[in-house]
Amino acid sequence: MAQATELRQVHQQQSTGASQPSELFGRSIVNFSLVIWALIVIFPMIWLAYSSFKTDQEIFFQPWALPASLQWNNFERAWVEVHIGQYFINSMKVVIPGVALTLAVSAMAAYVLARFRFPGNRIIFYLFLAGLLFPIFMALVPLFFLARDLGLLNTFQGLILVYVAYSLPFTIFFLTGFFKTLPSELHEAALIDGANEYQVFFRVMLPLAQPGLVTMGIFNFLGQWNQFILPLVLMSDRDSYVLPQGLSFMLHQQYYQNDWSALFAAVTIIMIPTLTVYIIFQNRIQKGVTVGALKG
Amino acid sequence: MEVKIENLKKQFGQVIGVKDLDLNVRDGEFVALLGPSGCGKTTTLLMLAGIYKPTDGTIRFGDRVVNQVQPRDRNIGMVFQSYALYPHMTVFGNISYPLKLKKVPKQEQMERVERVANTMGIGGLLDRRPGQLSGGQQQRVALGRALVKEPDILLFDEPLSNLDARLRLTMRSEIKQLQNRLGITAIYVTHDQVEAMTMADRIAVMNQGVLQAFDTPEDLYDRPKTLFVAGFVGNPPMNFADVSVMAEHGGFTARNESIRLQVPAERGQKAAAAGKVRMGIRPEDIHVVDEGDAVTAEVVIVEPLGRDAMLDVRFGSDQFLVLADPQKHIRAGDQVKLHFDMDSVQFFDLQSERSLLWN
Repeated sequence: MAQATELRQVHQQQSTGASQPSELFGRSIVNFSLVIWALIVIFPMIWLAYSSFKTDQEIFFQPWALPASLQWNNFERAWVEVHIGQYFINSMKVVIPGVALTLAVSAMAAYVLARFRFPGNRIIFYLFLAGLLFPIFMALVPLFFLARDLGLLNTFQGLILVYVAYSLPFTIFFLTGFFKTLPSELHEAALIDGANEYQVFFRVMLPLAQPGLVTMGIFNFLGQWNQFILPLVLMSDRDSYVLPQGLSFMLHQQYYQNDWSALFAAVTIIMIPTLTVYIIFQNRIQKGVTVGALKG
Repeated sequence: MEVKIENLKKQFGQVIGVKDLDLNVRDGEFVALLGPSGCGKTTTLLMLAGIYKPTDGTIRFGDRVVNQVQPRDRNIGMVFQSYALYPHMTVFGNISYPLKLKKVPKQEQMERVERVANTMGIGGLLDRRPGQLSGGQQQRVALGRALVKEPDILLFDEPLSNLDARLRLTMRSEIKQLQNRLGITAIYVTHDQVEAMTMADRIAVMNQGVLQAFDTPEDLYDRPKTLFVAGFVGNPPMNFADVSVMAEHGGFTARNESIRLQVPAERGQKAAAAGKVRMGIRPEDIHVVDEGDAVTAEVVIVEPLGRDAMLDVRFGSDQFLVLADPQKHIRAGDQVKLHFDMDSVQFFDLQSERSLLWN
């Protein structure tokens, strides 16, 4: 043990000391590239955020300057007059059930596909995977007619179902791999302890799959939140627009009705949920709760 | 609870996991299933647990045939090699889980978990999670979880193989004592013969899905019924040489081109009629001597084991393992004289690989 600690220390010294000039050079290149990348990603967000507090004049004549005074009414106009508030709520109404349903269905399907052998298992799995190969644009026209015939055009339920269908292939693919990594002894132990298959799934396997579920939750939340082309086709009624549609509509409006400051405010509002979701859950993605299930 | 296994068979596709297994385990007995990897011992255990369904044959717990009974209705406790603790539950959660599933009242759950935890010496760890425990503590939690529902039968699947050598020694005697005190029938799968020999009342030796022997540790060691058992049980393993046993000068001799050894009459007699046979002799029954009627051999390798030095010696075409006194300072390349203590020599038929002495 003492030896191992020593080794680790030596290793740390080597990695933090950066005594070799070539290593130092290599590392500074890496760090420099990362700084540039971070600037590229962060700068527009910050610029957007503070610009949303400016007046239109300020945005056009002093694009880089900080706002002279905070124009909170930009947000008010965006929320009320341009109906961003309405679209925001619409988006929530679609994305929250959409993600929940995606995770529920995928987890159950993936669990069965990963852990039970039965005739047709592989076929079902590959059928799900085939969904990944199907470009969304090819499906738009048939999807429109299908939704119309089912009376699901301009309904949130219809959009939710379509979102879920599009999210299933990758989510199932990912979670199947995840469930396969969980030790089968846990399943056996739970059966012997007196659990039935449902209890094994809900009480033992599902909690253990939490990191995978969180990852897929975020992935699908971002994907569904930013989805534009599907609602554009399926939701033609202005009252049931979701956010990306609303934004696009607002952008087109700018050609005849100059209110760039409200547009900036609207974009800022849209970013908040995605950022929040990511910041809250990023640690939990990394935290593997399976530690201790198997003695390594 | 008595366990009766009759004609048990398990097939995975074309592969036969277990073949025509018959085994009777008495109430309160500690039985070890011993064998190399892939010999079918874990498959047998999982059939007892109800995880695998037998292809053929019957398993009885007492008088009840349990072939189709679900694991949860068999009232068994099982300890896994990986412990299989639920990582998202605390120690309390893990141990109480079987009770919770049985809908035992909360108060009684607390009492029973506490009692078991105290027996296992983990009473202070109930709030921890498995990831925060050492291997030995996890092992105790796993054992506690198996015991808390007061099972009729305890199943062990190589429970000690992930522990370090010292801890393994302690846990070995702890498990044995506990089983003795509680009087629960225990079936213990292991590939470690020392574990099997020290813990079990009887050992079932398996190889390639077939039961080779089912005997007490002493019988397996001193009276092996098959060549496989003779070679598998004992460490360092038994030495083998092909010899012919002949009646000479009123006694019996085992000989080939390089050795010629006197065999006690009652053993020699049984082997004499069989022509060429395989002779087995354990390393501790061969002694390095300074003089006398002995076989001369060349030392190839010396492995110091501490109490003994293990010599790999060669004479003629035969190569044997011999235990010697390390004080003799024998080195590789030396010539040594060997005396064979033939009182416990074994003879096996070359074709059937069965013992000529004990069948």
